[in-house]
Amino acid sequence: MGYSFPEEVLEHVLSFIDSDSDRNSVSLVCKSWHDIERWCRRRLFVGNCYAVSPAIAIRRFPELRSVSLKGKPHFADFNLVPHEWGGYAYPWIAAFAKAYPWLEELRLKRMVVSDEALELIAKKFKNFRVLVMYSCEGFSTDGLATIAANCRNLKELDLSESEVDDVSGNWLSQFPDSYTSLESLNITSLSSEIRFSALERLVGRCPNLKTLKLSHSVPLDLLPNLLQKAPQLVELGSGLHTKEVHPDLYSKLAGAFSGCKGLKRLCGLQDVVPSYLPTLYPICVGLTSLNLSDAPIQCPELIKLVSQCQNLQRLWVLDYIEDTGLNALAESCKDLRELRVFPSDPFGQEPNVSLTEQGLVSVSAGCPKLHSVLYFCRRMSNVALSTIARNRPNLTHFRLCIIERFRPDYITLEPLDVGFGAIVEHCKDLKRLSLSGLLTDRVFEYIGSHGKKLEMLSLAFAGDSDLGLHHVLSGCKSLRKLEIRDCPFGDKALLANAAKLETMRSLWMSACQVSYRACKLLGQKMPRLNVEVIAEQGHPDSSPDEYPVEKLYIYRTVSGPRSDMPSFVWTMDKNSALSSS
Amino acid sequence: MGGGAATPHSSSSSSSSSSSSIDSISNNHPSLSSASSSISLPPNTKRSGLSTDLRLGPSISTAHIHHCSSSAPSPRDQRVDWPPIKPLLRSTLTGKADNQRQATNLFVKVYMEGISIGRKLDLFAYSGYDGLVTTLSHMFKTTIFCSDPHVGGADHSGKYHILTYEDKEGDWMMVGDVPWEMFLTTVKKLKITRADRC
Repeated sequence: MGYSFPEEVLEHVLSFIDSDSDRNSVSLVCKSWHDIERWCRRRLFVGNCYAVSPAIAIRRFPELRSVSLKGKPHFADFNLVPHEWGGYAYPWIAAFAKAYPWLEELRLKRMVVSDEALELIAKKFKNFRVLVMYSCEGFSTDGLATIAANCRNLKELDLSESEVDDVSGNWLSQFPDSYTSLESLNITSLSSEIRFSALERLVGRCPNLKTLKLSHSVPLDLLPNLLQKAPQLVELGSGLHTKEVHPDLYSKLAGAFSGCKGLKRLCGLQDVVPSYLPTLYPICVGLTSLNLSDAPIQCPELIKLVSQCQNLQRLWVLDYIEDTGLNALAESCKDLRELRVFPSDPFGQEPNVSLTEQGLVSVSAGCPKLHSVLYFCRRMSNVALSTIARNRPNLTHFRLCIIERFRPDYITLEPLDVGFGAIVEHCKDLKRLSLSGLLTDRVFEYIGSHGKKLEMLSLAFAGDSDLGLHHVLSGCKSLRKLEIRDCPFGDKALLANAAKLETMRSLWMSACQVSYRACKLLGQKMPRLNVEVIAEQGHPDSSPDEYPVEKLYIYRTVSGPRSDMPSFVWTMDKNSALSSS
Repeated sequence: MGGGAATPHSSSSSSSSSSSSIDSISNNHPSLSSASSSISLPPNTKRSGLSTDLRLGPSISTAHIHHCSSSAPSPRDQRVDWPPIKPLLRSTLTGKADNQRQATNLFVKVYMEGISIGRKLDLFAYSGYDGLVTTLSHMFKTTIFCSDPHVGGADHSGKYHILTYEDKEGDWMMVGDVPWEMFLTTVKKLKITRADRC
């Protein structure tokens, strides 16, 4: 006698399962579960827009409401991916327009989004609610105007770090007077003058507005008016620039900030004049997130500000905080979970601030919940790294950038292999790691043997030979993304671990020693990988097979080679000729 | 982007304890020697040529690499898009120095020697010297060089010019010596001069 759940029961159970990996597991149980699951999946995450085609996605999941797509490789953030490489959103949006008229949410990262794509979104999705374009490009304020004019139910518009062709600030006025559903607005990357009255009216009529992150074109003297209209704000981003300090403005601003009793997250503060900082003191205790990476605040004002934020969970700050500031942070902010310290003078030859490895060691000792670190500094030692590792075995994200390349342990002048080895050995849940400093193949031996949960690894100017890469590819079981620049890794490790590449999302290698021959071989033998060579100097066939490729991007895909490549990208596949040796 | 990153080629002395090479690993490990997981190069492939034949820029011996900790990076080294910080953050930092806020355009005049009518270019449209020099080479139909030998305009049969710029101090400098972001904060105008003048 067979037992079976009615479909409706299973669907109801599945509605409580949100995580993609759980849903993927569900779909593997049996055919009927696969079928039921695909019909009731509402959210899709595509980590590489070229890994699957819109048609395949739509065929499998006919009823999506929310899609996230990522385009360019991460190293595009640092100018390593040439302009016009790809990552176009339009084909996806056009396909969705036909298949998902009820699509509500689109989250795009590092993609090229045209005004035509925005127009499609505005006109074809009747219940569109959330548009997030993180680090995207290709659109203008005209496209935003169309969104504003047509998306009646828009809740969230987020343009963080996107490059927008800023034709005019008038697009904001396109939100009709009847539009009141805005909950989150992030327009920090726009620079043209917005008509402040339009912004004020918009803020005034949207009672659910929780997040407001503005460009610094909003002058300081108008900020209090804005805050008074939105005391329910939870997240605020604003420059605080002003030409002079006048006492009237000070008290107005102080009053407005203390009126925002629910404010938890603060960012921006570009050009803030230190004398205005005390207006923030009343809200400091409520803050859980503070992003001062644009703020030119130095110690001691910085320390005064940060030490009042006893409930801080996330701090992004410039190295003006120095070791003394980080000591204060370790004393005051016991709930700290994430710390990012950015360089104020990255190209300077000499350190301009007194920030060393000691600051990080203090925070690792004083903040028991710290699990995510991004730290730029100019010196490091193995003993400091080992101390940090022992203090904080709960680290999940550790990215260290020693500004000068090839810097050894400043005390012993040895490579930093042992220090990073301690990190991977003690931090058993480490998911993301970026290395820097002087490193030999030994560090990769450690990473290969201990980094079992490592999902993303970023390498630059490290290692001695293919053995290094081999350790990583053969040892890191959970590796999904590997990005490498300027390392002496060549063909051997790559070819010996070819199968590993199908278990990963992507591999980026630039300025390494992988030859055209190896790429062509890989492309020929591995049909489920796209082996893309970026060669701005000319066609691969015009270079001898032994020559190293400039840049290599390998990713798994179920939809074959892409059809939108620019002239400088070639897919190595079964058609690539190997010149006879 | 500017190339020329110094990559130390393999030196067996630094791979300390591990005496195993990839070849022996492949032979001993069962899954590695199966055809599907690894790919071997065709038998008569020359494998030895790789580390010595590469022309990745100035060759630097490994001894120099491991001991050069205290020397300041040369201007050439700076042009490798390092350290890894996002351009948005970079322009916020460098822009602070000269009150240059997050403007979306940076139009500068470009003149070619001998031609009285100039052009204007938005430098913010380019992410590096590559794109700039290529565009100028096409615009003015000549081969243009700057101080980075890896960046060069298309060959326009015989004509050569050098790209120079006037900086904030009024001096005329050759384009290409400083990191791109730094160049953006000091450039006022560009001039394409005849090669024999430099």
